Amino acid sequence: MVNKKQIKELLNESTCSHNIEKKSSCNRAKPGATSGGCAFEGAQIALFPFADVIHLVHAPSTCQGASWETRESRTSYKGEDNTPLGYCTDINTNDIIFGGNKKLEDSIKYIIKHKNPKAIFVYETCVTAMIGDNMDSLAKRLEKKYSIPIVVVHSPGFVGGKNLGSRLGGIAILEQLIGTKEPKEIHPYGINLIGEYNVTGDMWQYTPILEKIGIKIVSTLAGDGRIENIQQAHRAKLNVIVCAKSLVTLCKKMEEKYSIPYVSVSFYGKRDTSNAIRTIVGAFKDEKLSKKAEIVIDDEERKLEKKLIPFRKILKGKKAILNTGGNKSWSIASALQDIGIEVVATSIRKATLEDIDIAKKYVPILMKVPANEQAKLIDEHKVDILLAGGRSLYTAIKKRVAFVDVNQEKKVSYGAYNGLINLAKNVCNAVNNPVFKVVGTTAPWEKTND
Amino acid sequence: MTKPLQINPLKLSQPMGSLLAFLGIKNCMPLMHGAQGCASFSKVFFTRHFNDPIAIQTTAVNDITAIVDGGDYSISEAINNITKKVKPDLVGLFTTGLTEVKGDDIKGATYLLKKRMKMVYVHTPDFEGGLESGFAKTIEAIIEQLVVPTKEIDSKKALLIPNVNITPIEVEKIKEQLELFGFKSFALPDLSDSLDGHLGLKQGALSSGGISLENIKNLANCSLVISVGRSVEKCGISMLEKNPNMTHLHFDSLGGLKNSDKFYKALMEFTKVSKPASSIIRWRKRLQDVLLDTHFLIGGANVVVALEPDQINSIVQTISEAGANIKAIIAPTNSMAINELTCKVIIGDFDDVEKILEENDLLISNFHGHRLTKKHNKALMLRGFPNFEGIGYQLKNDSLYEGSSYLLCEIANILEHHRH
Ligand code: SF4
Repeated sequence: MVNKKQIKELLNESTCSHNIEKKSSCNRAKPGATSGGCAFEGAQIALFPFADVIHLVHAPSTCQGASWETRESRTSYKGEDNTPLGYCTDINTNDIIFGGNKKLEDSIKYIIKHKNPKAIFVYETCVTAMIGDNMDSLAKRLEKKYSIPIVVVHSPGFVGGKNLGSRLGGIAILEQLIGTKEPKEIHPYGINLIGEYNVTGDMWQYTPILEKIGIKIVSTLAGDGRIENIQQAHRAKLNVIVCAKSLVTLCKKMEEKYSIPYVSVSFYGKRDTSNAIRTIVGAFKDEKLSKKAEIVIDDEERKLEKKLIPFRKILKGKKAILNTGGNKSWSIASALQDIGIEVVATSIRKATLEDIDIAKKYVPILMKVPANEQAKLIDEHKVDILLAGGRSLYTAIKKRVAFVDVNQEKKVSYGAYNGLINLAKNVCNAVNNPVFKVVGTTAPWEKTND
Repeated sequence: MTKPLQINPLKLSQPMGSLLAFLGIKNCMPLMHGAQGCASFSKVFFTRHFNDPIAIQTTAVNDITAIVDGGDYSISEAINNITKKVKPDLVGLFTTGLTEVKGDDIKGATYLLKKRMKMVYVHTPDFEGGLESGFAKTIEAIIEQLVVPTKEIDSKKALLIPNVNITPIEVEKIKEQLELFGFKSFALPDLSDSLDGHLGLKQGALSSGGISLENIKNLANCSLVISVGRSVEKCGISMLEKNPNMTHLHFDSLGGLKNSDKFYKALMEFTKVSKPASSIIRWRKRLQDVLLDTHFLIGGANVVVALEPDQINSIVQTISEAGANIKAIIAPTNSMAINELTCKVIIGDFDDVEKILEENDLLISNFHGHRLTKKHNKALMLRGFPNFEGIGYQLKNDSLYEGSSYLLCEIANILEHHRH
């Protein structure tokens, strides 16, 4: 069953300043004015990256049918990568009338028999929550019978949005998995990476650097994650939250339960990456480690600068406007500045108050309604590049400036030092591409192009 | 033990089909009645598929409204909030599994809002049917609730009702063929005007084009209604209920030489034209030539097709004319469209596709076929939903003489390319 008290607690997550300001609107999606994903999607984002676990979605066809194999979470797991796969009980009318438990049980048994996974995560969704399937007791019974972990994630979409879903996923892991296995030895500089989903391999841009310094990744939630590692997460010395507000509660609970402190970092751009490394290392209060870190950072930054030289030549003096949501409003801005671009304005349309505070420090103009403001700003400031989602493409064409789809980062990594090279490449390609001017030319039967 | 679950589903849900149908109506706001996630997933899905913004809103049912509200509140709230920002000509209201389990009275809810907003409602639970039925049910609802009955006939007016698999460019091409016979042609829905991938002010708040509400209301005086695909045959019949004097021509498929012949023959008979436009004659000859040019490559190929039923039927008929060995077809849902095929028919998922792929050469399926064909080193022709990586899906024409020619060339080239 969905635990009402727990949901309330998760919604009131105190470190989310957005919540204090406008509690109700933050919690409840408005009919007819909502665009975000549901709790199930949040749980999917947070937990599907465990590639050695089979993720069984107890639902009719929309939840998983529309969403499997859509994320670029990478794994180095050698067995069958379950992250992109779509397991679904595909509830039908019959199950609605007689209950879906039987189908769920059969499905779990089928998976165990044919796929022999290390664990199974079962996701509750709207319809199966509504018809009241008792998934918890079923999972417990089968877990005993087959001796593999069967984790139930209560994530029906109607309880809330993606962030809440990620939290629910995190809590399920905390309550049902963390601490169920002991490591052979405890590493003095062991960390858990929380909220890092290794999209396009982001994580691999910086984990080798951390390892070089002497830090050990004990477990991840859940990018390139393994069930065995997360079971031992309670023996790490530090929790590192990566660019995600949604799992603070989990970290707090782990602090209470296992006395593991946590830090929050972001790996976008040069400055943020170096700061992130310093924050992580600093938490261990170990001079030797800090010294080592400085040497490594210095070395990495120097290597990066060398690689950036040809791009800097092209990008020197270029001005850009950034129109994207959430923490990207400042993290990509900072990355752009790192490659020598002047960021004239950024959008704060979908940003939290915290994000806005940070964005202020990076960018002079904050756009509240970018759709109305960006065209004018392009003219006023003689902007060269618009970085935005596909919807703004038309503005770029009309204004004949280069356009970079910010969602490209879903295909190539913009993370850490090397990700900056990818970003610089993409921006340079756009700046050099004649396509925006060609498309913007006037048709023979038109007078002007406006 | 038969497989109790879906592993890597081929199936797409009814509400998603409904969404697409509403997107072919001009200035329409599709409104999904359910929790927020279904709308979000569907939006992202079709945005990636079409590479264009997709208009959709949700009634955002939550754990409180799920229990205390019979739908009225969230639906009327949604209309309030939508109209604060945009002025749709029509709101297309369709349900999801959640709101069907709750048993919401959407007819009643739209009735209460009658004065404030023009609406069409349709029941599309996602624990029943699939993409094709959701699309078809929505067309039926639009016809039933919007088209004004008449007995009059405008002999120059024809209506096309495509199934969900017919691409935007195909809709346009078929409409053009009707125009070659002197008709003013309409399509319900008309994706050729909205999701054809044209450059425009793509804010995506409302559908960016399609058949207008006015034109839908006045469809009953069409002399001819043409339905293409088993899934929408009933929609053609519903048109007859609006005007018994209308003629309904139904085609299961417009793929291949024989089906195209049937289509043009029927049009010639109806319009009493003895010789069609020269481009039609020319394209038939080109298709004949393509059939001969490609038969050698296609003739030896063992093919597996995993798509929606109507599209399976259409492609199978086209490539069978060039001698392809259809080894098996896999469909997400059952349909008369595939019951008559003589090859192995499986109602299943990509797990079933994978089991069968090993002994065959070519898979015709959607984006999810990528991983499988790569893993097993087989050729892949991309069709259907979703097509996440490929570009230009909306410009793929597989219909009639012209489209069949393109399709055969494409397959032959893929097979040849894969051989090396
Ligand atoms: S809102 Fe509910 S039914 Fe829709 S995708 Fe999310 S969990 Fe599934």
